[in-house]
Amino acid sequence: MTMLDVTSLVTQVRRGMVPAHIYGDPDVFAAERDRLFPRSWVFLAHESEIPDPGDYVVRRILADSFIVVRDESGQVRVLFNMCLHRGMQVCRAELGNASHFRCPYHAWTYRNDGRLTGVPFYGEAYGGEDGFARTGQSLLPAPAMGSYNGLIFASLDPDAPPLRDYLGDFAFYLDFYTRQSPAGVELRGPQRWRVKANWKIGAENFAGDSYHTPHTHASVVDIGLFREPKANKRKEGALYTAGPGAGTTYKLPPGGDFTSQLQYVGYPDEMIPQMAATWSDRQRALVGESGFMISAATLFPNLSLVHNWPQVDAGGGVVPFISLRQWQPISERETEVLSWFAVDASAPEEFKQRSYKAYLMCFGISGMFEQDDVENWVSITDMASGSMARRMNLNSRMGLNPEGKPLKEPLASFAGPGVAFQGYGEYGQRHWLSQWGDHLEREPYTPPVRDLGAAR
Amino acid sequence: MTGRPLSYGDPAHLAAHQFLVEEAALLDAGDYDGWIGLICEDIRYVMPVRVTTARGAGFDSLAGMGHFDEDAYALRKRVQRLATDHAWTEDPPSRTRHFVTNVRTFREAPSELRVESALLLFRSRGDTREPSLISAGRTDLLRETPDGLRLARREITVDESVLRTQNLAVFL
Repeated sequence: MTMLDVTSLVTQVRRGMVPAHIYGDPDVFAAERDRLFPRSWVFLAHESEIPDPGDYVVRRILADSFIVVRDESGQVRVLFNMCLHRGMQVCRAELGNASHFRCPYHAWTYRNDGRLTGVPFYGEAYGGEDGFARTGQSLLPAPAMGSYNGLIFASLDPDAPPLRDYLGDFAFYLDFYTRQSPAGVELRGPQRWRVKANWKIGAENFAGDSYHTPHTHASVVDIGLFREPKANKRKEGALYTAGPGAGTTYKLPPGGDFTSQLQYVGYPDEMIPQMAATWSDRQRALVGESGFMISAATLFPNLSLVHNWPQVDAGGGVVPFISLRQWQPISERETEVLSWFAVDASAPEEFKQRSYKAYLMCFGISGMFEQDDVENWVSITDMASGSMARRMNLNSRMGLNPEGKPLKEPLASFAGPGVAFQGYGEYGQRHWLSQWGDHLEREPYTPPVRDLGAAR
Repeated sequence: MTGRPLSYGDPAHLAAHQFLVEEAALLDAGDYDGWIGLICEDIRYVMPVRVTTARGAGFDSLAGMGHFDEDAYALRKRVQRLATDHAWTEDPPSRTRHFVTNVRTFREAPSELRVESALLLFRSRGDTREPSLISAGRTDLLRETPDGLRLARREITVDESVLRTQNLAVFL
């Protein structure tokens, strides 16, 4: 095994040259595990998945399992799913409703806010508090947690910046997907499946690869799933980088206003006033004045979003849908995809059903877009795992001149924050990779370790 | 549901079993045009997302989310897509084998049969990749028409929560 030369790797990446082996290298994966994921804000769940007290879902940050639960007072908790006694996984279901979690091994019992309430034979076995300090013990809460528009994130770093500070300018774009009315979105899913692809490829793709659409997704244009041939439309879109995120947009038809553009992508008239009232002047201007509609995006490190508007029946009208997806790393060669359908909670029921159909036809495990993406990503991972990949730096400099300056000026008339360019370019992928490089350059994270229940 | 399964010697059971075997042969031959000819106009083709829940939870699939939830329009679009020159995920095509067994047939209505079956789909892609397996139960509604049996409803109960296949560019 070769020692990983992080400095050299990151230097290449900063030039827009990507050492090909990073998509299949166990040493790189180990560096991501030790340096990146212990410090990142990672998406776990949406509050709509756990609406009632006791509702929970179990989600992971790499190998760490967390119970995301709404306690009896309505507060959302993120609890490490390991019994304080012998380390058993306390909750082995994926979702459900529970007032308590009882470990199957020795029946230590925790309230759904995490507090340890039951230790069998406490007096006989431990001699009470002197032997094991039960008072104040709780399943370990995630070192940091935060939520935005009901999206629940956790970080393994207790010193992580507040989530809202981390999201920065990307929150502006996140609102289009997750706050179309005061009711917010509801998530359904996730579909979960494992693909033999490196997790970074999907994250980069959604951050800015409008260039793949005309070819990879030619088949969905061939069958008339879209109103216009996307191959030409895609290059007119704007690509933006903002805070820890980046994404793609489509150019809307000229001459439209806010309302007509939302009608154009298929939003029913009942929903548009809600969007107008919920979004800021600047957010409305991105649609109504700049004339761009958000499409794919990635929030570093591994949450991606997508918004598109296919035809879902022979009638010819289009219906928009939103999906959130997480690229959950399993190894350098395998990723678990978690893919949710998202829809405004106050949308008409008929719209929700049609939007769900639009999602299923396009994204998720059976989606006709996603099918072809994954085929490509599996192949890349395969190729990246050998020795020849160590001799190649892939060119990720689209949109830059030889001096590293943008080939064109940023869009002046783009209402959103961050920097945006019109046309093809690998701005978003470089933005993502640059954050990846920042993390890899840091020292491995060394967490504090504590004794549980030791005598005081 | 409705009573006992038909006897294995019952002509309706034999016809239903043969339908499933012939359907599997079309799918394994990549004859999707032939396959789509077997569906009813009002078909529903669904595959719920299975989840791990406590025994007493009372549910083991997600509400409101499937791997498939298709009508005739959506299934035809999928078949049309596979026939284009740009459906990369199945070009080169997977080698598949649909193993159909444990077939039980129930008389549901004068011209409708409910057929339960077990399905094991073996799928191999390329030369070096590991193959994938999907195990599922299926509950079908087969309608007797002048052209023979046709598929009016299929519910696929997959036996894994996290699927180990790169996509569902295949039919089950």
